[in-house]
This record gives sequence, C-alpha cells and structure tokens, in this order.
Amino acid sequence: MSSSVEAAEAKGPQIRRTGTGGRIRFGIYVALSLAALAWSFSGLEVSGERILKGLPQVGQIVRQMFLPPNWAYFPKVAQEMVVSLQIAALGTAIAAVLALPFGVLAARNLTRLAGLPFAGKVLLNMIRTFPELILALMFIRALGPGPFAGVLAVGFHSIGMIGKLYAERIETVDKAALEALAASGASPIEVFRYGVVPEVLPDFLSFALYRFDLNVRAATVLGLVGAGGVGTLIQFQIGRDWPSVGMILLGIIVTVGLVDFVSAKLRARLA
Amino acid sequence: MEDPVIVFEDVTMRYPNGHVALEEVSLSFGRGEFVVVVGLSGAGKSTLIRCVNRLVTPTEGRVIVDGTEMTGLGDAALRRARARIGMIFQNYNLVRRSSVLRNVLAGRLAYLPTWRTLLGLFPRADIELALRSLERVGILEKAYQRADTLSGGQQQRVAIARALAQQPSILLADEPVASLDPPTAHQVMRDLKRLSREENLTTLVNLHFIDMAQEYADRIVGLRAGEVVFDGPASGVTEKTFEEIYGRRIRPDDLRGTAAVAAEADVPDVETPPVAV
Repeated sequence: MSSSVEAAEAKGPQIRRTGTGGRIRFGIYVALSLAALAWSFSGLEVSGERILKGLPQVGQIVRQMFLPPNWAYFPKVAQEMVVSLQIAALGTAIAAVLALPFGVLAARNLTRLAGLPFAGKVLLNMIRTFPELILALMFIRALGPGPFAGVLAVGFHSIGMIGKLYAERIETVDKAALEALAASGASPIEVFRYGVVPEVLPDFLSFALYRFDLNVRAATVLGLVGAGGVGTLIQFQIGRDWPSVGMILLGIIVTVGLVDFVSAKLRARLA
Repeated sequence: MEDPVIVFEDVTMRYPNGHVALEEVSLSFGRGEFVVVVGLSGAGKSTLIRCVNRLVTPTEGRVIVDGTEMTGLGDAALRRARARIGMIFQNYNLVRRSSVLRNVLAGRLAYLPTWRTLLGLFPRADIELALRSLERVGILEKAYQRADTLSGGQQQRVAIARALAQQPSILLADEPVASLDPPTAHQVMRDLKRLSREENLTTLVNLHFIDMAQEYADRIVGLRAGEVVFDGPASGVTEKTFEEIYGRRIRPDDLRGTAAVAAEADVPDVETPPVAV
C-alpha cells in the first residue's frame, strides 16, 4: 500500500511537468493552425464584399432549381441514373474480384517473407492515390468517352480501397484456428481455404457493398468529364436550365439515399 | 515397454529470445498410455507436446513418433505424419464462422487430394466418419450450426470430434479444460479418457490442476523449468510429489475441484473447495 503511494508521489512532479509541456505544445499547434488559415485566406481572394454580393445569387439559383424542379425531365434523369448505377455496380464487382489477389498479397500474416506484404501495400497505396476523375479522363482519352471509361475509373480506384480493407481483415484472422488446421496436417492452401476464407468472406462482401455505396456517388459525378451516367446531364444543363439541374440533383439525392439505406441493411445482416 | 509410440531423445528447445523451454528431455510413451504432463505455466509443458507434432521444432535432440523421426521431416512428410496426431487446445481453436460439421471435416484434409478439399467435395465416407465422431462426443444434433453459437464445453467437444475424424494413433491436449467450468471440465476429461481407451490412443494432456491429473492420468510427468523432475504412475503421486514438481506449496487454485463437488455446485465458478490430495 504505502509503496504505491510513494510511487505516485514520485511520479507527481513528472505528471505536472508533462502537463506544462503539453500546454505549451498545444499553444504552438493553435498558433500554427491560425497562421496556416490566414495564409489560405491571403491566396484565395476571399472578401466579405464578394460573399455579400454572391449570396443572393446563390439563393436565386437554388430557387430556380427547386421551385419547382423540371418534373418533365424525370424520365431522362431516371434513364441516366440507371447508367450511373450500372457503372458503379460493374466497377465495384470488377474491383471486388481483382482486389482479392492484392489483399492476399498485402496481408502480413500469410507469408514469412516480409517484403511481399510490403510491396503489396505500396502497390495498393499507389493505386488509391489516383482520383477517379483523373482516371476517368485518362480512360476517356484512351478508349473514348462513355460509361465504359467510367466503369474502368471506378473499378481501378476501388481495387486500391477494397484491397487494403481485404488485407487488414485477413490480418485479424484468429491465428489459433489456423494452427489447429496445420496441426491436423492441412497444407498451407488448405489452411487458407478452411481457416481464412470462411472467416473473411462475409466481411469481404460487406466491404464490397460499402464500396458500391460510395461508387454510386462517384459515378454520378464522373459524367461531368464525359464518363457516362447522370453527370452527363449536369454537364449539359448547368448554367443553362436550372430547373432541370434541380431535377437531376433530386434524382441523385434520392438514389444515393436509397442505396445507402439498402446497403446498410444488407451489411447488418452479414455481420 | 514394448515398442514406444513417442520417443524424446535429449530434446532441447531454445527459443530465439534465448529462453530455454526444454532442457535435454528424454522420455518415451507406449501405445494407449494416458499421460498427464504437469508443471507451472512456463515450465515447458506446451513446448513439450508441440514438439510431438512439430508445431515447435526442437533446437537439439530427436523426437520419434511411430518410428518416424519428426525432427527431420520435409513439409509433405510432416503433413502425413501430423494426419495421425490429433490435437486439442485450451481455446478450442475452431473456425468460428464455419459449421460444426465443416470444422470436424477439417480433420480429413490431410487424407484427401487437394482438388477435392479446395472444391469442398468430401467423399460420403468422410462425411459419415465426421458425423459419427460428433455422435461419439454427444453433439451430433449441432452438426449444422455455426461453431461460434456453441458453448465452450460444446466447442471443445467439436474439437475432440475433429481430432477423432483424423483416426489418429496419438492425441495431444494442451490445457484442454483451463477455460471450462468444473463440471464441464470433468465431462471433457472423461470424454478424452474414454476415447483414448476405446481407440487405444497414446494421449498426452497438459494440465495444471493437480487433482484432475491424479484422477485421470495413468502416468504423470512433472516438468519444472524445462526439465523432467518427475515421471511415474499416477497411483504413487501425493501432494508432496506435486510440491516437489512445482517447487512450492500447493494452493487452492492448483485444484479444479472433484467431479462430485463440481456437479453439486449450481454456479459454475464456485470457489474451489479444499481437497485432500
């Protein structure tokens, strides 16, 4: 008892010292953040005058878009929205499959060679750094505009995202169950098939569904650069026919909301 | 002893961090022997039984199982040798999201061609063997449930069924009842003992409960700091023997409680009653 009290007393001054140090460091961080913020303002021609002048115009555009939207445009929006959903679905499916070898490669617990998972992780990080829009522009250049370029853009980017999730899930598989399989004479590939696959597969499906969710949002925007889907209509109508843009936005909001809801429900069942 | 099934010859295990888990251990075990290995945690019990199926490869000495020197085997030969050695663990080590039947069928993997196992095409005979194994540990009706829906005792019986499905000649059990309440612990020990008798299995069980060791073992091996400090029939063992093995006085938590006392208790985690050893 007394020894623990002594220990706490001995630590007391230390605790206070790190406290003071912490406060000083906190002050420095706040000052740095404020400086960075001020610097950002200086470069971007932000002025109160412009905001005051611009705001009423924003209100004007919003009124034109939604009071009322161009309901007659609905069939066209629905038709292109389906294309966006198809881009997201096909892109996600391709990525969910192609990410499998990357995920296995990048998982640290399946191999004794440290270099392989490292290389896999670097590769996945590199894939992930390409934004979908840049990829879409590249694929449009190479393959011509249209939904197929969108599918490839979504698919390529998603490999990086899904592959990383796969690898991390594989790394949390219970080692003890794998040891039991190895102890019964199973070969490494059988240990993977019977110890890893059944544990991770439901979660892999869950990751793919979540990614589909995000890819629907991405696919609606990709049309802006010519990669097909509902974004094509935005590009066509923006600044020209605001009520139609309002209809498109409504379509996107409702669709994304629905996909989000259904995906969350399905994922809950996979847990 | 006629034709020992497991032989340890001057086995030393030194882990890369310098810890010596086993020091020049020489032992041999005959067909059908039910051996309990006792010792404090860290005494080398786990390393000892893991040397039998070479989950741990000793740094020096030889381990010979059924006439095969385990210490020198290549990957394929090691898998064939492991097929005949069943193993049970403290935490059951089942694949949680797989069905009970699938977990038991895993005991057949080493006997089947890889193309079959990868496709999941188990021959009817293997499925029947797996179901019979479940029947023998009394949980056939759980065959199609997910493994993680079962209680600890049931999961350990699935693990025993998995070992049985291997049709082994040797059974290893690493602290098989340490995570179970006393009645379930005795149930599992009785199952192990019965199956060991029925199949004439050479069985090595690590335990740190001295009352259970006395109740179930034919022979007791005591380890302290990686060395064999006792080896003899269970009938000749007293509390004094255990105090020599452990190098200290026996404490209440060295006892699991007898089956009778445990069965009377309604609460699984009763304080272990004092037991005259």
